[in-house]
Amino acid sequence: MIRTTLILASLCATTALTAPAFAADPIKIGVVTPLSGTYTPIGQQVRWGLELAASEVNAAGGIMGRQVQLIFEDEEANPSVAVQKAEKLFDVQKVDFLTGTVNSGSTLAVGQTAERAGKLIATTVSFADSITTDKCSPNVFRVNARAGQQSTALAAWVIKQKPKAKVYFLGPDYEMGRSTVATFKKTVEALGATPAGEVFAPLDSKDFTQYFGQLRQARPEVLYTSVAGNDTVRLLTQMQDFGLLKDLLVVGASGTVTSQNIAAIGAAAEGFGTGVGYSTQIDTPENKTFVAAFKAANKSDPDLYGADSYGLIYFYKAAVEKAKSTDTDKVREAMRGLEWATPQGKKTMRAGDHQAIQPMYVVRVSGGQFKIVGNVSGEEAIGPDDCKRF
Amino acid sequence: MVDINVVEAKGTARPKRVIDRLGLAMRASHVLVALFVVAALIFAAVGVIQDDRFFLRLGTEALIFAGLALSVDILLGYTGLLSLGQALYFGLGAYVSAVVLKEVPSFWAAMAAALVVALVIGFLAGLIANRVRGVYFALVTFGLAQVAARAVYNTRSLGASDGLIGVPVVPIDLGVITVMSNSPAGFFLFTLGFIVVLYAVCAYLLDTPFGRVLLALRANERRVPSLGYSTRNLRLSAYVLAAVIASLSGALYPMLRGFVSPELLFFTTSGNAVITVVIGGVGTLAGALYGGVILTVLKSVIGSLTEHHLIVIGLLFMATVIFLPKGIMGVVRPLIERMLRGGKR
Repeated sequence: MIRTTLILASLCATTALTAPAFAADPIKIGVVTPLSGTYTPIGQQVRWGLELAASEVNAAGGIMGRQVQLIFEDEEANPSVAVQKAEKLFDVQKVDFLTGTVNSGSTLAVGQTAERAGKLIATTVSFADSITTDKCSPNVFRVNARAGQQSTALAAWVIKQKPKAKVYFLGPDYEMGRSTVATFKKTVEALGATPAGEVFAPLDSKDFTQYFGQLRQARPEVLYTSVAGNDTVRLLTQMQDFGLLKDLLVVGASGTVTSQNIAAIGAAAEGFGTGVGYSTQIDTPENKTFVAAFKAANKSDPDLYGADSYGLIYFYKAAVEKAKSTDTDKVREAMRGLEWATPQGKKTMRAGDHQAIQPMYVVRVSGGQFKIVGNVSGEEAIGPDDCKRF
Repeated sequence: MVDINVVEAKGTARPKRVIDRLGLAMRASHVLVALFVVAALIFAAVGVIQDDRFFLRLGTEALIFAGLALSVDILLGYTGLLSLGQALYFGLGAYVSAVVLKEVPSFWAAMAAALVVALVIGFLAGLIANRVRGVYFALVTFGLAQVAARAVYNTRSLGASDGLIGVPVVPIDLGVITVMSNSPAGFFLFTLGFIVVLYAVCAYLLDTPFGRVLLALRANERRVPSLGYSTRNLRLSAYVLAAVIASLSGALYPMLRGFVSPELLFFTTSGNAVITVVIGGVGTLAGALYGGVILTVLKSVIGSLTEHHLIVIGLLFMATVIFLPKGIMGVVRPLIERMLRGGKR
């Protein structure tokens, strides 16, 4: 086996030696994304979005006359695997740019690998605030909305509906659940809401009725929840059975009610609102063209991840054309403050923390489907620049 | 499997040692490890000539996971205990090393901390896990690792689900030379040396009467007390030894990759270590090293070819279990043993 590695090593090394960059050589973009395991549906959307954009760009003559080539690697949603694959793409395939990481741990770890290798990466999926705040890196860009943006958009909308609302918080009892609730609480309190109480239920709770006494006593006008998956199904259906949904505005994190569990929640999901960076219903010609092309190519609707990944290729194209090079430093400079068009509307890459500013939408369930009920401008939702490294 | 020599070896000052079947097998393992080292040195030389980075670092990672497999083999191959939670100690070593390195970038401080923590946690967890036998032992070790993984996953100061990044590149001061942990060939050679030392320590300990009694434990645990040995202390010692080996291997991980994440403690890590040992050959020690390299290279190569790599690896694993029940070493080692025996006569 050592021998096989040797042969592989020498093969790869010789091809690397005999390949000086031609102008007509393709621009290689590495994609490290989960193609197996729990996150496969997300990786699938990332892949579809990138492939659609790459084929459009290539049909229109590529980037500076060079075709775009996507090279996929499976990261299994595991940072250890992601880092190894990223190194392979950087060192063996010599990719110019890298994207695709889904879970925040992978994005942070691959970002550090890129920094040490002197390359750039962008995430189109990870939403942990830390990526562009306290753990920001000069080599990492994020083109999708972070958790803070979703939360700000939703809070702004809630306050518009119910000024000075009494808000009750119900989250799953683990780190992510608690931090999501804490973020929303801080945002909505700053806008004038009063907290009516909070409770954290263990993950995979079967019975939420034990919390209903407290909930009822607090008499909230708004309930914010960040439970997900089947927990949401049980929480909302049990609340409906107890008649608690009446005169209560239920809002939550973007992963609380999704296409996977909305059918199981049924009528109890009616009226649920959340903040998102993308919806297929955005009423612009750009989005309509995108949705039609995506459906034609993949026989499936795009979601948030597909749309953000699609937009990324155009972001990279705009940056390389502005820099007139694929050199890391020049492209980084070009990416800072760059404005580009996406199906979601105009996005701007903030120079201070490499976080994209984009219009945010509030969607609400109506008749078993999410409908856009409000939008918040990018500047309003973005929040402060907390990155201190550059 | 119990040899008469086991009993005789105890207490005597081992005058001229008779090379028995087990001693011969151990010598054959030494020869195989020597071959492994030669192959690795050639690999490193080619890597340096070709100015390679990726393959040398992949090789380093393979060696680190081979260290974990080595610890599984001590339990599975020598003591007859299937641990499904060895990632607990691997991850423990990795996190301790990462936390220490972020505070004080000193290689020896990180290794010392990983050693001490593994001794303490290994001893405490060993007291719990060794209360039960067989499948229950497997379940308890699995459970302990899950508990640790969940605890890390939810601890904000340890980075929670994001893990810890920003582990600095450390100089490894070896007295005569200093190796930087980001030098591909340098750190590869250092890790090779380190794993060989771990192997040598294990091989030495397992070739002493202590190791022979462990083998006796695997063969028939009920008879061992009647020979005058405390099975609890023996099992506990083997468990703590395995914990230390796994932790020290894990401590090298953040030096190579610069980060740690809770996934290192997950079942996939423990499961891969067991697969590594089974492919290499249970109870051979050398098999853990070969298995580690084979599995890492297979995963990297097949993973790039198809997204169905888990199916391919699973099929290969099943084929190994069915056609090579003693692993690769089960095929190769008897040949070496025959050569060694032939040479003696």
